[in-house]
Amino acid sequence: MGLSARLARCAAGRPRPLIAAVPGATGVRLAAEAEVRRRGWRPASSPGETGLLLICGEPGAALDEAIETVWWAMPGPRAQVRVDAAAASAEIAEALDRAVIGLADVAAQRVAAGTRPAMGGWSPPARHEEHHMGAPAGLAMADRAADRDGLTLDVLRVPLGPVLADWPAGLQVVMTLQGDVVQGAEVEVVGTGEGVAFWDEPWLAAREGRTVTSGAAARRLAAAHLDSVGRLLGVAGWPSAAARAGRLRDDVLAGRPAARVTASYGAFARRIGRSRLLRWMIRDFGVIDDAVVDRFDLTGPAARHPGDVAARLAGWLAETTAAIAAVDDETALAGDEGPRGPVTRAPSAGLIAALPALLEGAEFSAARLIIASLDPDVDQLVAAAVSPEAPDA
Amino acid sequence: MREATAVWTVVALPILLAGLAFAAAAFNSVLRAVGAGHPEPARALTDPLREAARSLIVQRRGTLAPDRLLTRIGVISLPVAALLAAVVVPIGTEPVARLRIGVVWFNAMEVAVWGAVWLTGWGVNSAYALIGGYRFIAQGLAYELPHMFALITAALGAGSLDLTKVAAAQDGLWFVVWMPVAFVVYLFSALAMAFWGPLGHPVAGDLAGGAAVELSGPDRLVFLAGRYMLLVVAAAVAVPLFLGGGAGPLLPAWTWSLVKTCAVLAALVWARHRLLVLRMDRFMELSWMVLIPAMLLQALVVAIVVLP
Amino acid sequence: MQPYLAVLILLGSLGIAIAAVYILSRLLAVPGVVGVGPFLSGGLPSEHAVSRFHVRWYAVTMVFLAFDMEMVFMYPWALVVASIGVKAVVEMFLFLGLLMVGVVYAWREGALRWA
Repeated sequence: MGLSARLARCAAGRPRPLIAAVPGATGVRLAAEAEVRRRGWRPASSPGETGLLLICGEPGAALDEAIETVWWAMPGPRAQVRVDAAAASAEIAEALDRAVIGLADVAAQRVAAGTRPAMGGWSPPARHEEHHMGAPAGLAMADRAADRDGLTLDVLRVPLGPVLADWPAGLQVVMTLQGDVVQGAEVEVVGTGEGVAFWDEPWLAAREGRTVTSGAAARRLAAAHLDSVGRLLGVAGWPSAAARAGRLRDDVLAGRPAARVTASYGAFARRIGRSRLLRWMIRDFGVIDDAVVDRFDLTGPAARHPGDVAARLAGWLAETTAAIAAVDDETALAGDEGPRGPVTRAPSAGLIAALPALLEGAEFSAARLIIASLDPDVDQLVAAAVSPEAPDA
Repeated sequence: MREATAVWTVVALPILLAGLAFAAAAFNSVLRAVGAGHPEPARALTDPLREAARSLIVQRRGTLAPDRLLTRIGVISLPVAALLAAVVVPIGTEPVARLRIGVVWFNAMEVAVWGAVWLTGWGVNSAYALIGGYRFIAQGLAYELPHMFALITAALGAGSLDLTKVAAAQDGLWFVVWMPVAFVVYLFSALAMAFWGPLGHPVAGDLAGGAAVELSGPDRLVFLAGRYMLLVVAAAVAVPLFLGGGAGPLLPAWTWSLVKTCAVLAALVWARHRLLVLRMDRFMELSWMVLIPAMLLQALVVAIVVLP
Repeated sequence: MQPYLAVLILLGSLGIAIAAVYILSRLLAVPGVVGVGPFLSGGLPSEHAVSRFHVRWYAVTMVFLAFDMEMVFMYPWALVVASIGVKAVVEMFLFLGLLMVGVVYAWREGALRWA
């Protein structure tokens, strides 16, 4: 016991949290990410890697099922932290401190492990009806289907999301894959509950007649784009640039003076904008043209910057530059053009509707980049479904 | 394999390999902490130890109907391949095994990584891992030929496949000076064989960890340690091939080997924080239509120079 | 010491180190085996992942095989260039040139792109 207790304490000092984001709770997700970064913890991307599940917000039943699946897949020592949508930074920090103590407590972890159902091998829950011959361990082997060249090939149905790093909260895309080619994609919003459309708040508040300055809205817009840019860079496999985007996002939200943000954002945008390697890796796929814009009634950056993934990234960067220049604007906010389009029309619905057509035929990694380059904000759908009039309740 | 092995190399090799692998992991953690804007990045030095500690105490974990044997073979192949590749690398002027075909041996051991990563991705019976495993094969098709050209070009310059003789042949002029293309291509392939940084697509974040997504506990520890060892060996081989081996003023030969290896290793680790992941569906054409022709010309130049 | 003996000693040590990791894990780990599905970001699998994977870079493997076979001959060739002279260089690079023509043809046919 002595040695494993010491090792557990050593490991618990720097856990690798897996963050499960809940739609309608973006604010607490940002606070949690900032706290994790402040502690120098490195987020994990899979249950095998993590011992700490950090759930940001109150998931609905469907999303909770997905989170449970991930929790089930985590080997002990493990800890779960649930922070509700209204949690302040101090509460998050306190919850994380408790989790660290729990992770280091080997005796308690052993007891907890003893109460887990003893299972040598996992079996899929009863969602799959028939268990027939040729289905080892109760799960069917891959079926076959025609591919685009008319060959009959094995098909895998692979879900992406909702518990995934650099992924829109509450989105699930079930891909039909042949090899690493997406033959088809079904998109679903998981965990519609209650919540706030965090990125749209200033515009919604202004519509209700409250006084909001254009500068505050510009801050929110810049932060929203930086959040999207950071995820896109994370998916593109450039973690250092993604971390930089995250820090800038937090600086902007924290109300840092315009002069300081402008300088550091300028350096960042130049680095990203000038990277020919990045442009080479993200161009010529996920193209949105006028026909797609009309068909799915797209608005916002995706419609303003037609073209491929690279064009949308450039669009975000340009709009962020303009927004950061305007953070000190004291005039009253007019209009309803939020980070993803008119806030009253839930523009993310169009982005989500456009996904299946855009993903079909893409390579797996290209598909993830396309999703990240649109970055639909599920909060808009959640908040719109609940209460359009009380964004800050 | 005629000359006897100096006993000190047998002791030194595992110490250096393990030490440098840890140093690479620690340096990587520090660079990451700097990138994340942490006020005390030096505290990240122990992160690899903490992760190793967790790997030892974590509950065992098995995916649905995995092929445990294949997964295990894949995982363990990484450090084994790295060690076997390292035995021909001269520490100073003394390798553990002075093979006349050391360059070919290194090449053969490095190719084992293809199998290792694919087996790991396949064996766990997980879709993300499967895609990651196949990504490495595609990557192999892109890097292996330029890599072999780089090895052969250095061997051609020395007229020998023995790494100690290749190093000795650079008495007056390091090969990096008159084979710069081969050196750059070699560094690229070093990143690729350790699926590190810009060539890390097989274990990339868009697949939540790709080929390694389901690994935990000792499997994860051995896999990651093996990967760092590969990175170390890849960096160490660049020294006799292009950087004059143990040659240098004042200090003993083994120190120079170590210093040069550290420099190459640091550059490789740093590349991860500077560059983004290359996708092979984009990169394949460049590899075949630019890297291979460039290496052909480089080899031709070297061949003409060494003509009697 | 004989080199093969040295290599065997090193391999044995590595084997012991790896075994130690697994044994330590057995001794120190939190007890029990967690049976899990494959990680599908919270989703459940519809089928086993092991399947015939559609490798669309299949054509590249063919070109690679042809080139790789040739590369093996370059190792002994590298040793004799200095002694045989111009003839060795001309023959090898003529052959490599021919192969490269094949690669360029494959490239123009689109064999090197698949996305």
